[in-house]
Amino acid sequence: MSDPKMKFLVVDDFSTMRRIVRNLLKELGFTNVDEAEDGVIALQKLKSSEFDFVVTDWNMPNMTGIELLRAIRADAALKALPVLMITAEAKKENIIEAAQAGASGYIVKPFTAGTMSEKLNKIFEKMNQKAA
Amino acid sequence: MSDFQGMEDLLQDFLVEATDLLSGVDNKLVDLEKTPGDRGLLNEIFRGFHTIKGGAGFLNAAELVALCHLTENLFDKLRNGEMNVTPVLMDVILDATGIVRDMFGALERGMQPSAADPGVMARLRAALAGELTAEPAKVAAPAAPVAKPVATAASAPVGAEPDWVSLHQAVTGVVPSAPQAVPEPAAARSANDGEVAAVVNAAFGRRAGDRPGTPAPTGRRDAEKGRDNSIRVDTSRLDQVLNLSGEIGLTKNRLTSLRADILAGKSDSDTLHALDAAVSQLDLLVSDLQNAVMKTRMQPIGRLFQKYPRIARDLARNLGKDVELALVGEETEIDKTMIEDLSDPIIHLIRNAVDHGVETPDERMAQGKSGKSVVRLEARQEGDHIVIMVADDGRGMNAERLRAKALEKGLITDEEANTLDERASLNLVFLPGFSTAATVSDVSGRGVGMDVVKTNIQKLNGSIEIRSVQGKGTTFVISLPLTLAILPVLLVRLAEQHFAVPLSMVREILPIQQEDIQEVGGRATMVVRGEVMPVLPLARLLGWPQKNHPQYGVLMQSAESSFILAIDNFAGREDAVIKSLDDFRPKGVAGVTTLSNGQIVLILDMKELLGSMGDTRGVSRSSLLGNVARAA
Repeated sequence: MSDPKMKFLVVDDFSTMRRIVRNLLKELGFTNVDEAEDGVIALQKLKSSEFDFVVTDWNMPNMTGIELLRAIRADAALKALPVLMITAEAKKENIIEAAQAGASGYIVKPFTAGTMSEKLNKIFEKMNQKAA
Repeated sequence: MSDFQGMEDLLQDFLVEATDLLSGVDNKLVDLEKTPGDRGLLNEIFRGFHTIKGGAGFLNAAELVALCHLTENLFDKLRNGEMNVTPVLMDVILDATGIVRDMFGALERGMQPSAADPGVMARLRAALAGELTAEPAKVAAPAAPVAKPVATAASAPVGAEPDWVSLHQAVTGVVPSAPQAVPEPAAARSANDGEVAAVVNAAFGRRAGDRPGTPAPTGRRDAEKGRDNSIRVDTSRLDQVLNLSGEIGLTKNRLTSLRADILAGKSDSDTLHALDAAVSQLDLLVSDLQNAVMKTRMQPIGRLFQKYPRIARDLARNLGKDVELALVGEETEIDKTMIEDLSDPIIHLIRNAVDHGVETPDERMAQGKSGKSVVRLEARQEGDHIVIMVADDGRGMNAERLRAKALEKGLITDEEANTLDERASLNLVFLPGFSTAATVSDVSGRGVGMDVVKTNIQKLNGSIEIRSVQGKGTTFVISLPLTLAILPVLLVRLAEQHFAVPLSMVREILPIQQEDIQEVGGRATMVVRGEVMPVLPLARLLGWPQKNHPQYGVLMQSAESSFILAIDNFAGREDAVIKSLDDFRPKGVAGVTTLSNGQIVLILDMKELLGSMGDTRGVSRSSLLGNVARAA
């Protein structure tokens, strides 16, 4: 499942952060990465072209990461899409909220390529189980 | 040695973006003072600190993370209505923002910021606990959390490990077989700094490491140069450049094939027509491309303006004045290099407006004005110029007082003082060493500001003028060319040679009649609308012999003086693309440009030419008119 051709969408309003995530993904061998500045743009991109994985920040203007997550889960065409939430907080209520909204995983800033890899593998494993 | 080896690229990106963000936050804070309950503002400010914190974490800037974390928490409470914005709270927040800016400064120098002032940290914590009093000093000492290492305080997650594990199960639906199968955020973060740095280095230091044996760029100097020279360009603008260069390539191909045809002797009307069409198209495309390339250098001036409301606010508060800085025309675009060079002059002008221009609220009330004054910072494009205005509604400038002051300081003579009109008197403030403040304040009034402002503006080929009405206010008007790469010039001729002079200095062109030349104090002069102007022959400036009686005079206005440049003839104006002479630069030559006929023309640096002459007062009438005059 962890096909290096997988297409990622990285959503964050802070371009430095998008670049960090993009670099980490590249480090892990994923080079097919597109970016979006907020949930609204992300949703547009998701609807207009095929993506295999969404990595989104939580706090963003216009449409937050959690709103994006809910919108994805509510959309018949997108609801199976894995979504990894990134946030600066490990607050209990945030994690519960993400879990309830159907996040595939949760990662706390700052993180390393190693942490990210573990998170991604966890999600891939689960997706494979489902597929099997 | 830099603390960020291998992370220079990341650091630069972060600084550029986060500095913008912080300026935005600063402005919103100023707005927040006016509308303390605005949820939208509170939310945006919260997000600003939150985002900076997130980025800083990847740079291992623990102190910055700690500070932003506290501030962010404070805004979380404010936006949720758990707390209200009070003036005391505002002060703490503004202090914190200031420290964040200082920390950016440290990062820019390639150093990890040192811990924030414990007093401010303590006050932030006190504010969070709802215990902030009007006297911060009392809170600072006993506040318990100060003793804790800041880094751990900042990163301590609310939920402890067991919660996380169970929640992760809830999230993923997978029961981890071993506890370590679940990556712990706390563990990841508590990892030894060096280890984290190594991983981050590995992640971000790739560029330097790509070529084996090439050491990573060392020191901040290189990185800093890189930052200053880098520019953020809208991708659509770059696409346009790409598109146009593609089109030009196609047209070039067309021309190549036409050339082959023509060289083969084909010259029927169809071929010539096609040639004509291709050349016209190339013409259009090249000028489009020039414009498109120019546009990549253009940035909205709002980026510069953003930081001023905070400066104005702080200054006004210190002086006990109530000033609002209104920004107009922030979307006006201007060449990036100019944005940087304009920063300091505009700060000076705003400081001047707030310090000298604007009265205290009491004085204003006494004059029937509203207690609050508005300083307007405005930018707009006027033709091929950008105009920037700093306008206050204060007391205006008193020409009489300015003259007296300049006289007292020995900057002008009695005689000069008497001949100065209103406008010239206002311009006295641009003289080095001029300061009208009765007492020297720490914000302005050292007399170093205005002449530097003027010099800096002139370096950008711009000009600055003052308009002032007593009791109503003062406006400083800066006028700048759109770009520094293209210089509008006037082509003048001396004997058979063309020269270019910057059009920005040219006021008008007049014919020189022998009878109009008068000798005043042994110098050739001409009276233009009642004003006596020295006449300087270009030949003399260049050190050429004066062969003919000059036919035309170009009335030029430079920083210090106005004069008439006597020339043989002129050939019109042109937008010169300046080619600088790198290794070889004769005195008085700013660069060269090529005319459409291929002729190379020197662009004259009038200031340097005048300087090299030493005495700029001119030459005698007879030496100007020479034999011609004697014959008459």
